[in-house]
Amino acid sequence: MAIVETKGLTKVYGSGDTAVTALDSVDLSVEPGEFVAIMGPSGCGKSTLLNLIGGLDRPTAGSVSIDGTDVSTMSDDHLTELRRRRIGFVFQFFNLIPVLNAAENAGLPLTLDGAKPADADRRARDWLMRVGLEGRTGSRPDQLSGGQQQRVAVARALVAEPALMLCDEPTGNLDSKSSSEIAELLRQASAEWGRAIVMVTHDVGIASHADRIVFMKDGGIVDDVKLDGNRVEQTRAAMEKAGLL
Amino acid sequence: MSVSSKLAWRYLIGRPGRTALTTLAIVFGVSLIFGLNGMLPGIIQTFQRAMLASAGQVDLAVTSSSGGTFEPGIVDRVARIDGVAAVSPSIRRSVSMPSDSALSNITLVGIEPRTAVRVHDFSLESGRMLNAGDTGDVVLGADTASDLEVGIGGSFAIPTVSGLRQMTVVGLLTAGATVGNPEVYVTLPDAQRMLGAQGRVSAVEARFVPGADRARVEAVVRRELGSDYTVGGLSNESSLLATLKVGQFAISMFGIFALVMGGFIILNTFRTLVSERRHDIGMLRAIGAERRTILGIFLIQSLLQGVLGTGIGILTGYGIGVAAAAGYEYMFREILHMDAQVTAQFGPGLWATAILLGIGITVLGAVLPARQAARITPLEALRPQIAEVVERERSMWVSVGWVMLVVCVPLMLLRQPWSVGLGAVFALSGLVMIAPALIKPLAEGMSRIITPVAPATADLASSNVVRQPGRAAATASAILVSLAVVIALVGVLTSTFAGFYEYLDQSLGSDFILLPAGLILGGGNVGVDQNLVDRVAATRGVGPVATLRLGSSRVNGAQLQVVGIDPKEYPKVASFTYSGGTRSTDLGRLGEGRTVLVNGIYAAQNAVAIGDRLTFETPSGRRYYEVAGIASDYLNAKLSTVYISQDNLAEDFGVRTNVLVLANAEPGAAIPTVKAGLARMLRDYPQFVLYDSVSFKKSQVDLINSEMPFLYGLLGIFALPTLLALLNTLAISVLARTREIGMLRAVGTTRRQIRWMVVAEALLLGAVGIVFGVAGGIALGWALVYAMNSTGFVVPYYFPWGGIVTAVIAGFAFALLASVVPARTAAKLDVVTALHWE
Repeated sequence: MAIVETKGLTKVYGSGDTAVTALDSVDLSVEPGEFVAIMGPSGCGKSTLLNLIGGLDRPTAGSVSIDGTDVSTMSDDHLTELRRRRIGFVFQFFNLIPVLNAAENAGLPLTLDGAKPADADRRARDWLMRVGLEGRTGSRPDQLSGGQQQRVAVARALVAEPALMLCDEPTGNLDSKSSSEIAELLRQASAEWGRAIVMVTHDVGIASHADRIVFMKDGGIVDDVKLDGNRVEQTRAAMEKAGLL
Repeated sequence: MSVSSKLAWRYLIGRPGRTALTTLAIVFGVSLIFGLNGMLPGIIQTFQRAMLASAGQVDLAVTSSSGGTFEPGIVDRVARIDGVAAVSPSIRRSVSMPSDSALSNITLVGIEPRTAVRVHDFSLESGRMLNAGDTGDVVLGADTASDLEVGIGGSFAIPTVSGLRQMTVVGLLTAGATVGNPEVYVTLPDAQRMLGAQGRVSAVEARFVPGADRARVEAVVRRELGSDYTVGGLSNESSLLATLKVGQFAISMFGIFALVMGGFIILNTFRTLVSERRHDIGMLRAIGAERRTILGIFLIQSLLQGVLGTGIGILTGYGIGVAAAAGYEYMFREILHMDAQVTAQFGPGLWATAILLGIGITVLGAVLPARQAARITPLEALRPQIAEVVERERSMWVSVGWVMLVVCVPLMLLRQPWSVGLGAVFALSGLVMIAPALIKPLAEGMSRIITPVAPATADLASSNVVRQPGRAAATASAILVSLAVVIALVGVLTSTFAGFYEYLDQSLGSDFILLPAGLILGGGNVGVDQNLVDRVAATRGVGPVATLRLGSSRVNGAQLQVVGIDPKEYPKVASFTYSGGTRSTDLGRLGEGRTVLVNGIYAAQNAVAIGDRLTFETPSGRRYYEVAGIASDYLNAKLSTVYISQDNLAEDFGVRTNVLVLANAEPGAAIPTVKAGLARMLRDYPQFVLYDSVSFKKSQVDLINSEMPFLYGLLGIFALPTLLALLNTLAISVLARTREIGMLRAVGTTRRQIRWMVVAEALLLGAVGIVFGVAGGIALGWALVYAMNSTGFVVPYYFPWGGIVTAVIAGFAFALLASVVPARTAAKLDVVTALHWE
């Protein structure tokens, strides 16, 4: 069963003459452990799609299912619980709490879910070690580089063992070396740790780490390409075909 | 620890500067409430102790319900009661000692030596006890004798109604723990002569037989003597105590005012915190934090801040209370001539009040912003926010505010106590509510004044104020309350002093005044007999002479002063300030039977009208007096007082001594010469100070002026929240716009211009607050003066120009002061760091 399934997903902002259709009847399916990149020009609806999948926003029409459960009609409390237990988020600007150290930030979803502090701390440290930050667990965000902060955010997204990770421009605020490391980390999360990942990106190099690229334009999906062989070349070719280059 | 608590704690300690600033607001309010209320009960108890101590260490003391002296006919009646072992009459009076004495006050106690030793436990250290028939001999405590530097056989002078009298020490008592003035014992007839109270006593004291049922014996004595006498102790319900309790209430109100201002500051701080932490809130909500978790973070932070502020406030308040108590103790000794021990007291009720108010207002101030934070959806919170957005105006509350302002005018004009009070509350609340809507026009209008000084940054400063009308309005509200209190208080003080001067001119406008050493008529003033008055009248150049005599009574259970005047002589040298339709000719009615003039305070507090019949408890039993008018004099304007003829005072109260002498010079007489003659004659009467009218007025003005630094210091304290509110808002404002300031620097704005922008913002905020504060202060001041008049202390209303000038100067000075650090911080920001500020 697909971990994510959208059917006729539509989002319209405003009404009447000022109505803007951000997402227009999108059907998308993501399998467990699959790494999907979403690409497209600014304003094409990538982030809107991600927000709707993550239950951060409500669709105007259509439905979103996570693990077979329709989230578009869920109450706020249930959505909150779903995000806490089944979805991990990684944002462009890291969004770490400045007054908490790396381990405390990484362990937040567990702490919010009522885990014992010692257990949350142990699991957070474990994930920080896996993302390569074993020596920095006590550092506050302002003592870490951008790449390190984003690793903490990845550890935070993974700590609750979610089935799905949603990443919105996770490398948009990083230098190329750190970007590449984060993309590799996400690849590892998918391939080794079995998480389904939906990642929005503008970067061809980063998108090429995915198993599949979904191209969007004007609120709709214009192409859906599975990657194998020379991923970067394949990505460029697909972008050209979709009229994005 | 829950995630909310952990985050709240970390946020709190993560910004120590902000935490300190916000906490200061709470500290200020709590310390005022805790410190001053801790000090006042001590003062009140000191008064009570001083009065009750006069009752002595006996099983039972019987005094007159009127508070005055009485004939000792009841001694035998008390002695006959079953369970009473011994009875002894006594007379006691607090006496101000001559200025060259080591003691400021003593209590002169006249005893019957034979019976007194059976009632009191006198522990003789050396010498002998008094014997019946002794004259001019005293027994006193060894410590008192040491203070006076006399021993057995030595002598010292005590003021009496007939002048100073040398007394010889015949016995010293073991020093014991005494409260109040040191006691000096003389024989009863001696004391009666010294005090001008021949044949009268002030208490009958008794000792019970061992094992007697105390409550039963007391009840029997009470039944036997009736309501003319108080059994068990002296009354402690004096007008002074009532005044002190009013003071306690006023101080509590100011403490609450200060905390409300603190509440505005907290509200501002938390609104900014919510704005600053939008991304944190969005992320937390995105990864699964519930709304109540977000709410919890802010409420717990406010709770922690409240606990911290209240804790420090209580500590500071403790210091203030102890220091103020020590200050009052000094004042009691030096000014009121009372040997008192004032101890600050911090009872459980005060702790509970301070804790509840301190923490409660902090949490209350954070509730609205916390709820706003909890309502933000994760998507809203995660949207990029380059700069602060312009807030929406809350039109509904603004409309309510306008309605309240319109309604407050007829309410105040109704001139009913309830309507004036409600009108003042409406005026202040209405101003707070309309503030957000007026921020924009006021700030933009005032920025035109600043433009010539800082042309490049005045507009920016104005738009910074305007873009967050809620924050600016909360700051303006804190300034409003603070400055309104300052303006209102200056207005009240101006009116009060004007009122005092008017009373002074009317009632103490004679050429010469022989005034008791303490300004309060009954405070340790033994008075003088007719002999001195006759000598004053016979002094060359002296014309008409009038005197004031003093008794005390109870009417309907309430204690009051009874001042005796001669209705024929008094108008020749002085007058009253009349009110309630009373005319000066009504004074003459005091000579017609039992008629009385009541002062404004007494009339207002007891709803007494002309023509009413009052039942006085006197040492001679109940007497009925008809109210002939309402009139006040300077010395008694603040105390419940009635005026009767001296003939009636002698007949009903047994008082024949004079406590104040007023005299006019004969036409054409040289004032300095007459004064010199009077001064020579008064050498033996140190209980009196001789003034001529000019020097007396000057002494009173000097006295009032000497209080001014204290009063202005107090006003400064009330203005202090203005500084805190501005400092807090500016610090927040600079912090919230760090990235924007970075951008301004990047596009070429100089450090100097940035600094000016913040200073101009401070001045604009200050100006807006001043405008609101002036409006609120005028309304509050009018209401306070009206309230004072309705208590019977009638004073004219003066527009508070002085207060407005003070408030404008304080407002702008504090605005400049508050801008120093934020302006410097903004100007020093590193461009690159600022541009990447999160």
